[in-house]
Amino acid sequence: MPLELRLAWRNVWRNPRRTGLSVAATVFAVVLVVFFVGMAAGLHEKMIEDSVRLHSGHLTLSGPGYFANRTLAQYVRLDEGLRGVLERAEGVRGWAPRVIGFGLLSKETDAQGVALMGVDPERERTVSSLADRLQRGSFVGEQPRAIVLGERLARNLGAHLGDELFLYSQAWSLETAADLYTLVGVMKLPDVTLDRSLALISLADAQEFFVYGDRVSEVAVLAEDADAAAGVAAALRGDAGAFEIHTWSELMPELVQFIFLDDAGMYVLLVILVVVVAFGILNTILMSVLERTRELGVLLALGLPPRAVFRLVYLESLLLAGVGLLLGLAIGIPLVLWFAAHPISLAGRMAEAYELFGMEPVMTWKLKPLNPIGSAITILGVAAAAALYPAVKASRGRPVDALRSL
Amino acid sequence: MRGRAAAALLAALGLAAAAGAGELLPAPPGLDAREIARRQEDTLRGERAYLEATMTVTSPRLPRPRVVRLRSWDDRLNRRSFIRILAPPKDEGTGFLMQRPNLWMYVPRVERSMRIPPSMMLQSWMGSDFTNDDLVRESSQLDDYDHRLLGIDPAPEGRDGLRAYVVEFRPHEDAPVVWGRIVSWIETEHHTALRQEFYDEEGVKLRVFELGDIREVQGRHFPHRWSMTPLDKEGHSTVLEIHEIRFDEAFDEGVFTTRNLKRED
Repeated sequence: MPLELRLAWRNVWRNPRRTGLSVAATVFAVVLVVFFVGMAAGLHEKMIEDSVRLHSGHLTLSGPGYFANRTLAQYVRLDEGLRGVLERAEGVRGWAPRVIGFGLLSKETDAQGVALMGVDPERERTVSSLADRLQRGSFVGEQPRAIVLGERLARNLGAHLGDELFLYSQAWSLETAADLYTLVGVMKLPDVTLDRSLALISLADAQEFFVYGDRVSEVAVLAEDADAAAGVAAALRGDAGAFEIHTWSELMPELVQFIFLDDAGMYVLLVILVVVVAFGILNTILMSVLERTRELGVLLALGLPPRAVFRLVYLESLLLAGVGLLLGLAIGIPLVLWFAAHPISLAGRMAEAYELFGMEPVMTWKLKPLNPIGSAITILGVAAAAALYPAVKASRGRPVDALRSL
Repeated sequence: MRGRAAAALLAALGLAAAAGAGELLPAPPGLDAREIARRQEDTLRGERAYLEATMTVTSPRLPRPRVVRLRSWDDRLNRRSFIRILAPPKDEGTGFLMQRPNLWMYVPRVERSMRIPPSMMLQSWMGSDFTNDDLVRESSQLDDYDHRLLGIDPAPEGRDGLRAYVVEFRPHEDAPVVWGRIVSWIETEHHTALRQEFYDEEGVKLRVFELGDIREVQGRHFPHRWSMTPLDKEGHSTVLEIHEIRFDEAFDEGVFTTRNLKRED
């Protein structure tokens, strides 16, 4: 085996220029694959992060039936038990309890329906970026009966900072819930529906307004990252019991779909790239087999079994691809890591497009272990497939024909 | 032989279908379903009606039922009405002004009024199982629906000695109506509504409205107890008991104004 390996290594380099070009093509392909897969991973991670930080969190824990009905009738009690579970849970970056109800809000006479959300201002900051999206004014929590509105909602109401707004709804106790709230802040939310409908008050105010006690509609949880959400959800499910838990992929199915389509488009391009590399390898190995017809014929005539010839040629192909792969990873991985540490800020049109989708206008990369592993398997697999034809051709040669040829 | 078996089977199925429909008798010819619906409406509302009532809301959420007392002025001719809440203390003085298709509300505690947007019409009214739409749209049961007489129920459930027309209301194609179908039991002699069943567009029965305690007032046989039971919310129901009702009294024009909303009675 070491002899075959040595033989193969020498054969690979019998034409250094041809082999060098082939290796260069492989290196180029590997670097591109690693780079683009890293870029897509970074983009998707960022999209998920920005989306979950806008509002939903990586997962939500709510009362049974809340996901389907979304009324005050479905709730969880934010008692010591649940607090303990959330505090103890591993992989949780932050959690925020919320009371979510429907309300009517008016400045003069005409009322607008609003999605009323009671938030704990301190805890909310650990999950969502709502407080960072203030365009003017301050967040809820500093004074009682303060309300913060989405920018379009405030505009539709004709409300300005300091205005007293009439908030009306039905309490959980079926009483009339009606009170005056002072507009203290206006948020600019990238999601148009939210911007037109979201109204924030403090959790304490909401629990009083809806006569809701220590009940909350949901607890939004931020995990370490999108991939960790499922694990945290499973752990909480085991721990928490009578709750309903939904992860970001259920909360935002359209995002999952977008990522799937985006990935599919990228992989089509990468497959084309890899196929080109495969033909490069095939070409190099086939050429080297054809010009060694005599040499291989002699080996066969001397009694080297065809199996060994097949192995030899195969080994050459894998060595060729392996060298390209190692060099490619040696360049690609540091490249992705460097870009992961140095995100690119976008400006102009691109930045506007990102902001339209509610994303920070920044390009980021992320290296997931699956990226280099997948690249290695793909390239080696391709080399193996490309070597099949030359290897079979070399091992099936008849010594007589080989010796008779040039 | 096979043909006869099939015929017997068909006959059995036919009988089963008739039994399922509550064994209605065929209606005598010459009856107009719309006319029956109109007379039901007349019995219930008159041209003008003033009433005082107590609404009791029962819900598994509440340790004891929520009791709301109210006064109402209904000017059906001009399609407007007014409701003033008298109790509980927290809601005292709250007013509702309906001027089809608008609904205004006034809350004295914060001294503010609000026009309730059309999107809110299916929300519960005052925590009850009646919707805002029930307040505003009642009279459209005549205009927005086609009426069909299904037959006569010789023994409506729980109503000994009464007979009722069973009329089906189906909304016009473009009518602003949320129900797919309403089936109404209307007593044959005095045209008092006894029961209405509300179905959604998929044919699922959503709520049952029952009217009882029928007493004669100014020549009308008027039900003094209205009860609404939603079928999708277990344990919820609302009963409206009418203590006093006076028909066709002259109303002060000032009743149906936004200014009246804000008046403290």
